[in-house]
Amino acid sequence: MTSPLEAKSLSLVREGNAVLDGVSFTVARGEIFALLGGNGAGKSSTLLTFLGFLKPSGGEVLVNGQSVTGDVAAARGAIAYLPEAASLYGHMTAYENLDYFLDLAGKPAGRADLDAALDRVALPAEARTRRLRSYSKGMRQKTAIALALLRETPILLLDEPTSGLDPVAIDEFHDLVKALAGGGQTVLMVTHDVYGACQVADRVGLLRGGKLVGSFSAANGERIDTETVHAAFAERQAA
Amino acid sequence: MFASLAREARFLAKDRGALFWLILAFFLSCAAVSFGIAEVREQRETIAALIEEDAADRANALETQEDWGGAAYYAFHLTYAPPSDFAFAAMGQRDSSPWKHRVRMLALEGQIHEADTRNADFGLVGRFDFAFLAASVAPLLLILLLYDLRASERTARRHDLLVATAGSPFSMWLPRALVRVTALALLLLIPLWIGAAVEGTSMVISVTASGIMIGALLLWWLIVELVSRIDASASVLLTSLIGLWLALAIVMPAVSKAGIEAANPVPDGGEILLLQRETVNDAWDLPKAATMKPFVAEHPELADHAEIEEGFEWKWYYAFQQVGDQTAAPLVSEYRAARIARDRQAGLAALLSPTSLVERAFERLADTDALSMIGYEDRVRRYHAKLRAFYYPLMFLEQPYDADVLKKLPDYDANG
Repeated sequence: MTSPLEAKSLSLVREGNAVLDGVSFTVARGEIFALLGGNGAGKSSTLLTFLGFLKPSGGEVLVNGQSVTGDVAAARGAIAYLPEAASLYGHMTAYENLDYFLDLAGKPAGRADLDAALDRVALPAEARTRRLRSYSKGMRQKTAIALALLRETPILLLDEPTSGLDPVAIDEFHDLVKALAGGGQTVLMVTHDVYGACQVADRVGLLRGGKLVGSFSAANGERIDTETVHAAFAERQAA
Repeated sequence: MFASLAREARFLAKDRGALFWLILAFFLSCAAVSFGIAEVREQRETIAALIEEDAADRANALETQEDWGGAAYYAFHLTYAPPSDFAFAAMGQRDSSPWKHRVRMLALEGQIHEADTRNADFGLVGRFDFAFLAASVAPLLLILLLYDLRASERTARRHDLLVATAGSPFSMWLPRALVRVTALALLLLIPLWIGAAVEGTSMVISVTASGIMIGALLLWWLIVELVSRIDASASVLLTSLIGLWLALAIVMPAVSKAGIEAANPVPDGGEILLLQRETVNDAWDLPKAATMKPFVAEHPELADHAEIEEGFEWKWYYAFQQVGDQTAAPLVSEYRAARIARDRQAGLAALLSPTSLVERAFERLADTDALSMIGYEDRVRRYHAKLRAFYYPLMFLEQPYDADVLKKLPDYDANG
């Protein structure tokens, strides 16, 4: 069966530096795969290759079995992307932002759908008609998450998705991601938050210096042991 | 595509920065068209008033005359180039070349050039009219509207989200830019269209002018598009684009102008005036034959009537006036040819500068370019020749003075 996301011996060289070096993994339908790594490990670059913003120097990335290089638009159409500290338009309200981005995606939604998504991310109703420039970082992130939900794509790419969220919001977000995966959405998230990754992911990969240096999998629906992953992460970072 | 344009139009309506530039464009266009219409109306009123005064003045002057020479001497005749129905959009050379004269039967070239004491001005940045707005200001507004479309999104870390959501850059940036370019073009053109309706400009000229401006905006859009593909900050892009605008709108025309002027020296209008007046003044002290010989060479049909017996005769007076013109003729011819050569070369040089090209195209449409003004001078010469053809037989054949004959004085035809 075709995996929604697959990296095959993915290499990426930028300005003479090897950013990714032979990275291979697959993410199955309904699976949450977290890529852990420090700064410069190549996490965000991995996501950007799936979106077609970076072209692999070697190997390939596949979305729903099709090479991203061959059909970037198809890959992007299947993916909802939540960048780190997603900056929506500050001069527009949450509704206006969602309307604009959904129109851009060719998937306009009615006010009821918008409210349903904003309810799921727990954005207060009174805030929805305010401009985003008056929002806290967490509220802006929630709006961006609502956008990702409304896209209803089979794949979610999340770049440091809980950055800026308070602990309660982080827990709510993790529950939301798990619910989406339970509904069949495939999630690839990159983060340096070991605890968060272990809370939510079915599988964790460790990325260091552009190489996948370890992975942990939850068996029988159990959670990945945070201490083990943290120790491995620290060990690999120090290596 | 329509849905994308509607989306970006709604987006634009919320972008205060862009709206500011668009509203400014509209007000600038309204101002340029209003100033142009006011100027053109003032010129028309001036011409109408002069036409009325001209007839009255001439009637008064002729009332007391007793011979042909006196009538020709004291009667002034108005000549003028009325502004076209599109001149409100491009005043062009009307600002630097005279468009009205009151000529007499005296030597003509001095009368034409006494208001033209400097070389023909191929001004590159002239008054604030629509042509200037379309050629020079509109590209700047376009740059300000488009330069940071991508860069500002990169700075806000929104670029990748936008493109990933849109699927392809084409469906994102093209509609966004197209909406802005269209809005700018419409806000600039609507006042022009209103002005054209008020002035009765022909549809062909209005459509051509609109096409020229839209073409120029598309060219500048292409330039902005190419430059903004550079992965640089918004400020670097803006600096680069302004630099490019300066090069194409200011430096290139200025360098071309200097080169063309150096390559085609044009005699000063004042030199023509001086030469012709010196010839006329010298004639008083020369033997009359020295005047009549070159005159008769031009008018062999009057050879039998060109003998001057008395101390002063009008026909001798008018002959040396004409000889003054004949003496200045080579200089006039050189002046005219050099102006045409400069204009032709300026046209070629304009191919390197979109701003010059647009201004020249507008001036051509408005009949306010150098060739139109030279055409007016030629009309004045033709009319003056008709005056001479009217008076010479009367004077040289010594016809008895009859005031009624003066009712048949040739009329100036502004379109002739």
